[in-house]
Amino acid sequence: MQLKKKSPTPLRLGLMAASCALLGSPGAEAQSVPDGEQPLLIDTGLLYYKEDQGRVQTIEPVVRLKKDYGDEHVLGVTLTYDSLTGGSPNGAIPAKKVQTFATPSGTSLKPVSGVPQTYTTPSGQVVAALAKITLYSIQPGQLPLDPNFHDRRIAADVSWAQPIATNTNASIAGHLSNELDFDSAAVNGALSHDFNGKNTTVSAGLNAELDAVKPIGGAPVGGTDYTQLLKGGNKSKDVLGGLLGVTQVMSRHWVAQLNYSYDKSNGYLTDPYKIVSVVDGTGAETGYRFENRPGNRTRQSAYFGNKVYIAGNVLDVSYRRSKDDWGIQSNTIDGRLHIDLGNDIYLEPHARWYHQGAADFYHLYLNQADPLPTYLSADPRLADFKATTFGVKFGVGFSGNTELSLRVEQYQQKPTDTSSALAGLQGLDLNPGLKTIIVQLGWRYDY
Amino acid sequence: MAASFFAMASPCEVLLETRDLGLARAAGRAAADEAWRIEAKFSRYRRDSVVTAINGSGGTPVAVDAETGALLDFAKHCYQLSDGRFDVTSGVLRRCWRFDGSDRLPTATAIAAVMPFIGFDKITWNPPFVTVPTGMELDFGGIGKEYAVDRVLAAVTATSGGAVLVNFGGDLAANRPPADGPWRVGIERPGTDREAVLLLELERGALATSGDTHRFLLRDGVRYGHIMDVRTGWPVVDAPRSVTVAAGTCIEAGMLATFAMLNGAGAESFLDQQGTRYWCLRA
Amino acid sequence: MRLARLVGLACAAGVLMTMTGCGTLGVKPWQRDLLAKKEMALDANPLDAAIDDHIYFSKEAASGGRGFGGGGCGCN
Repeated sequence: MQLKKKSPTPLRLGLMAASCALLGSPGAEAQSVPDGEQPLLIDTGLLYYKEDQGRVQTIEPVVRLKKDYGDEHVLGVTLTYDSLTGGSPNGAIPAKKVQTFATPSGTSLKPVSGVPQTYTTPSGQVVAALAKITLYSIQPGQLPLDPNFHDRRIAADVSWAQPIATNTNASIAGHLSNELDFDSAAVNGALSHDFNGKNTTVSAGLNAELDAVKPIGGAPVGGTDYTQLLKGGNKSKDVLGGLLGVTQVMSRHWVAQLNYSYDKSNGYLTDPYKIVSVVDGTGAETGYRFENRPGNRTRQSAYFGNKVYIAGNVLDVSYRRSKDDWGIQSNTIDGRLHIDLGNDIYLEPHARWYHQGAADFYHLYLNQADPLPTYLSADPRLADFKATTFGVKFGVGFSGNTELSLRVEQYQQKPTDTSSALAGLQGLDLNPGLKTIIVQLGWRYDY
Repeated sequence: MAASFFAMASPCEVLLETRDLGLARAAGRAAADEAWRIEAKFSRYRRDSVVTAINGSGGTPVAVDAETGALLDFAKHCYQLSDGRFDVTSGVLRRCWRFDGSDRLPTATAIAAVMPFIGFDKITWNPPFVTVPTGMELDFGGIGKEYAVDRVLAAVTATSGGAVLVNFGGDLAANRPPADGPWRVGIERPGTDREAVLLLELERGALATSGDTHRFLLRDGVRYGHIMDVRTGWPVVDAPRSVTVAAGTCIEAGMLATFAMLNGAGAESFLDQQGTRYWCLRA
Repeated sequence: MRLARLVGLACAAGVLMTMTGCGTLGVKPWQRDLLAKKEMALDANPLDAAIDDHIYFSKEAASGGRGFGGGGCGCN
């Protein structure tokens, strides 16, 4: 960080005091004519994200502005626009025959021609499809994806940081975002204190978030029979969180950070568009249930991050361990090596390894014979899986204050629970995992 | 109006915002008198200076006046702040190092012979008595000029009351800007083809430059500047050719520039960390 | 249980680090040359970090850790 003005280092203070003692009076702080511009940093990125198999695709431009008013008074503004298209898994597993689903998440209000206007339940009952709903059919062996998934999100973040006492900084930030079916407002505040010659920094923060969940078609009654399409109105949820951290300069080459965070969510935490397949003893599907998650969730995580200078390059390596009361435990190891190639050019390879255990109420599918659990979900994001990311970022600097960069990464998820011994599900990959490509173009301008 | 004279091996000038010739002349004389006074008192080369008296005391305590005591205190603070790298007793290294542009480097034996006579911690400083052991020397050459700039500025400001800029060959300080705009100063960097003169605008405060353009040794393609690393007895490795620093007083700017040079390859990072404005030149 | 112990250990280590920090760990102002490089800042690439956090928040069950990520999104 190259801020023009910062609070004086102990050495500077010592020197000023010694000079003052020698001359008998302090000098006025040197003031050359200001350049006429206040330091401003503009950081922009254009993200292209694409999952395989016709799944989610997104284009996301982000602009971040940071203005330094001097004396460590810093204003930050971030604007994000996110446009998503493609198919999203609805939680049901593939079957050996055609499956038909109704899409409450689509914005199309007219039935698509060629798709049946009546819906036959697996038990043979014929039900008239409601005029508002679009239907879609999935071929045998295919993972059920809702192809009408479409969303756009806009978000704005503002933050302000400034010193409030010697070696003590405070910051406050606000966030607002809007999606077609979701609104979020959040505020967070943090305090940090440096001591030990600025070698140690302790910080503490609090975060509060309030979300309005407005599912298209209404929020379904959790756990009920999908075909009955029992719907309610809009829902809400809130999150309260705290973070404690300590940053320590370990040596001339190494700085480390240790954070502990805790957060509690309350309210509607279910995904209103996801269902769970119910199968009989032979593996033939007999129906579907809307998923139902608990009304609260408590999470804790410990994070250990490091920056190490090695022979002209900088290694960023971190480990995070997380646990929550839904029974999900996870471990993450993330490493990035910033390689300076000279002439303001760099290369930054990146590797990340992630493993999570399944939620207590996660089921790949339900057996009709078993009693219906209170909480249930087949969302692949709550399953047991290993994920890896491999990528590289390439950056070039110009005129000392501009930087162009290109980042290309591949992210893969490999679930552990993907098949069933039941006859009707033999040979089917029930949870194929995920493969995505991430491409990000960046432009950064300093001052 | 400008008054010029020669002191401390540099062309010196005092710039005043005034039309009063009498005032300018009086200010110029006050400035020159103060500069020559300081030079006479602390020069190593003058037989009647305080420094020569201390260096020739043969290990006996010498009583010093308040001004010398203040400089000794300052030297001690800088010695501590720099973890021993800035040391006013390091002048004895000139017995084996002669920076005449040739390729004659001293032998390890010659350097080893001189090292026992370096170390501010070996001096006893109990105000008002300073004891310098035989064979050791004090040398205020690294801080004398900047100290003189600050003292001359104070003296001229007291008598003239207007905007004043004191410039001793690139080490300069100003009390406030003239009515029609900031002082325009040029810092010369001889011996370089780019940025030969650094043009700056200064409203108030000080600038000091540390560099090794003239005094160096060159051997096997390696350039040895004259800023010494007292821990090894050799010049600092990878120091910039010149560094100019801005600060509130000239003595502070000069010490930051010296500390930066002592940091060698890390000069720019060190100055970034201190948050001062600076201009660094590397070969 | 295992995480509680690890978290307890992390807190103890943090407290220990801050207490023993006085004098044993750290550098003199003199020695901050490498630490001043912009890549050595713990938040050196906030834009990339925010984009990554958003991607992993919408595809995984765990999130955050480094700091507060801002608000939520309907993607999870």
